[in-house]
Amino acid sequence: MPGGDRDNAKTTIMRKPRGWGVLSLCLLTVIVLALPGVLKSSFAIDILIRILLFAFIGVAWNLMGGYAKQLSLGHAAYFGLGAYTSTLMQVDFGISPWIGMFAGGVVAMLASLPIGWLCFRLRGPYFTIATIATAQVLMLIFLKFRDFAWGAEGTTIPNLGNAPLMMQFEAKAAYYYIALALLAIGLAITYRIERSRMGYYLVAIGENEDAAEAVGVNAPRIKRDIYMLSAFLTALAGTFYTQYIYFIDPATAFNFNISIEAALVSIVGGIGTLWGPVIGTVLLETTSALLQSWLGSSSGGIQLTVYSLILMAMILWRPTGIMGFLFEIYGRHIRAEPARA
Amino acid sequence: MGEALVIRNLSKRFGGLRAVQDVSFSVEESETVALIGPNGAGKTTSFNLITGFHRPDTGSVLAFGREIVGLRPHDICAHGLARTFQVAKPFGAMTVLANVMTGAFLRDKNADVARAKAREAIEFVGLSAKEGTAARDLTTIDQRRLEMARALATQPRLLLLDEVMAGLNPSEIDQAVALMGKLSKRGLTIVIVEHVMRAIMAVARHIVVLDHGQKIAEGNPKEIVENPEVIRAYLGSGYTHVPTPEAG
Amino acid sequence: MVETLAQAVINGLLIGGIYALVSIGVTLIFGVVKIVNFAQGEFVMIGMYISFFLATRFGIDPVISLVVSMPVLFVVGVLIQHFLIQRVLGLNDMPQIFLTFALSLLIVNLSLMLFTANYRTVHTWYSDEAFHIAGLYIPLAKLIAFILAMVLSGVLWVFLHTTDLGKAMRAASQNRDVAMLMGINTNRVFCVALGVALALAGAAGSLLMPFYPAYPMVGQVFVLMAFVAVVLGTLGNIIGALAASLMMGVAESLGVQFVGADSGLIVVFLMLLLTLAVRPSGLAGGRPR
Repeated sequence: MPGGDRDNAKTTIMRKPRGWGVLSLCLLTVIVLALPGVLKSSFAIDILIRILLFAFIGVAWNLMGGYAKQLSLGHAAYFGLGAYTSTLMQVDFGISPWIGMFAGGVVAMLASLPIGWLCFRLRGPYFTIATIATAQVLMLIFLKFRDFAWGAEGTTIPNLGNAPLMMQFEAKAAYYYIALALLAIGLAITYRIERSRMGYYLVAIGENEDAAEAVGVNAPRIKRDIYMLSAFLTALAGTFYTQYIYFIDPATAFNFNISIEAALVSIVGGIGTLWGPVIGTVLLETTSALLQSWLGSSSGGIQLTVYSLILMAMILWRPTGIMGFLFEIYGRHIRAEPARA
Repeated sequence: MGEALVIRNLSKRFGGLRAVQDVSFSVEESETVALIGPNGAGKTTSFNLITGFHRPDTGSVLAFGREIVGLRPHDICAHGLARTFQVAKPFGAMTVLANVMTGAFLRDKNADVARAKAREAIEFVGLSAKEGTAARDLTTIDQRRLEMARALATQPRLLLLDEVMAGLNPSEIDQAVALMGKLSKRGLTIVIVEHVMRAIMAVARHIVVLDHGQKIAEGNPKEIVENPEVIRAYLGSGYTHVPTPEAG
Repeated sequence: MVETLAQAVINGLLIGGIYALVSIGVTLIFGVVKIVNFAQGEFVMIGMYISFFLATRFGIDPVISLVVSMPVLFVVGVLIQHFLIQRVLGLNDMPQIFLTFALSLLIVNLSLMLFTANYRTVHTWYSDEAFHIAGLYIPLAKLIAFILAMVLSGVLWVFLHTTDLGKAMRAASQNRDVAMLMGINTNRVFCVALGVALALAGAAGSLLMPFYPAYPMVGQVFVLMAFVAVVLGTLGNIIGALAASLMMGVAESLGVQFVGADSGLIVVFLMLLLTLAVRPSGLAGGRPR
């Protein structure tokens, strides 16, 4: 019957993306979980860990910078705070970095309150500049104060061999799975927020803060809340990284490049989308790894030169990033709300 | 009927410019009031003062018995006042549905409930067919409809509409007037800033006239049209002595 | 004590003149084109390298090489506006911020690859000369830089207030739409604004060479100063930027003198944070945007 067929056709089209989506996600999960077993090269696993970690940092940034368009270039502040909190607790008091990681997150959350209060007083690019400034200030503070945080030389973390309770492992694969877990948590949080009231409010604020206020959105509070969440997650990454490289110093922990990459991977991959930061990280980190293997270790400046060219190309050609490009090609039935339209 | 809005001695200066000077008027519940006046009279500024986007220098605004001067816009919206903007401010990257849901979320945290309520508002303004369209892809007039739907989704008790009729053709004006009539029947108090006489005469029983930031007249449509001060404000002093048909 | 204080103030004012050139450029671009040029410092750096090469290849004095660095950077400014900035003008914050930010990253890292991180200096006959007046030590190189910086600022001021093009720029800065309606070609105005701003940055670079080393990251320090001065002096306000730059120079100098050698940056940040906390719209008031 004509009518019946039409109804079926509609349901089939509606079902296909969802079915495919779940299937490809399952496939992806299997592949991702199996990778460390398949790949023997330590170098390859190292790259994967970097990808997972920076994708996670990008996801954390994206919550605030992508959805709510609060473009911070100072997230290294929270990375560093997380790193230093867990390291101090570990080296000075012998407390496990697992606890330290959480504590670092809390410290970062608390720090985001005064920093946010200050920076949100400016809008647009001046907000960005203010965030850069605050991250620099933190670096300067940690450089100067040798009394409680080892100053400019930093410290190494005593190698305890295989000590899972102290977040130290002999098998590199362990770090891979931790980074994967962090990324999964970040993506899950983003997924939930996207579909909730908070998600709509974030995008509304990003689009037009005045109009959002006019329909009852408490913009200052929402911005404050998402900043705290973003800071918390970024701090977790800081702890992980420090445990992975067994070293910390202000230049590494508060490095401006971390802030840059956090924003970059989201913009290139698709600002304000779930998978954007992941795609962006895969692209950028793979490029970076290839460059390294062709040109030897960081021939000063080449990596950032390439990154900046990619960024400029993206902005001039497709500010919505790779995901934006995909959405345009595959139509809008992917998601109706909160609508990357 | 209680008073939905009581405005007393509202004033605001921007630098040397006295945008609003000592304006007072009241709006009864379920009434539709028109705020009119030549350009630059202070109408939109008054809206901004009422809805919390600017803070008045002096004066008080009682909305449903509660003083709202000093409150932030989102609190004022939560208290029941919704507004549209003269130049529509849609959330461009969001669909029509998502835009209106943002408004609906004020009263319902649950996404499914908000979606249902949003759909009601969208249907009311006649945008159902474009539910999935990105707001930035809408025509200007549809963006105004969207703005209205979004405001309605917050379930206001008082709706402030800023020049929603501008640029509409006569049949569109009639549609908008009909919408307002339906809202008024539901008990919604409406204050409109308007220039389109046809619409004002059709919906407003009570008109307040501003000029250069001051209230120069207040009354029903007939009184306003015959008021020499109003005529002078719009047309200049050369016309205030034109005899009116029903004079004397 | 008074002498030390006076000396610190003098030092601060002198370097403040250079800060002024950079920050006037930033505030000019922001006022007219309404974007923040994150790469402004890099153009100072380019000016420095131009002067460096002219000095080492042809023996041209850096101050004289102004006549090369300024026009070159003017043209660069026009090109950047026409081919890059014009493309993101209609869009929102994100592309605008990250375009000039990416440009900044690109120029710094290209320079790192081309010139290496080594410090480059130029030694002129007046690099070590100084006036000694009333117990104060006034380095000749810095004095020349300061005077020329003030002259250039003055020339800009005259340009903006007496020439048609200058007035067009001020008009576009105050109300772009009305300016367009009045027949002002905004693209041309923007090109000139970028060109002038970058020329000023280039001038700053050339003036710096006799007493400051050139290296790829040098621009970042100056641009930070510039940004704080622009916020402090109120966005878009040229006189404000000038005054604030001088103030920042003095504040930094006082910090270095009385607190410690590397406290300059902290002083700057503190001034920024203080401004943000107390008066985000800057000294001249008005709306923060």
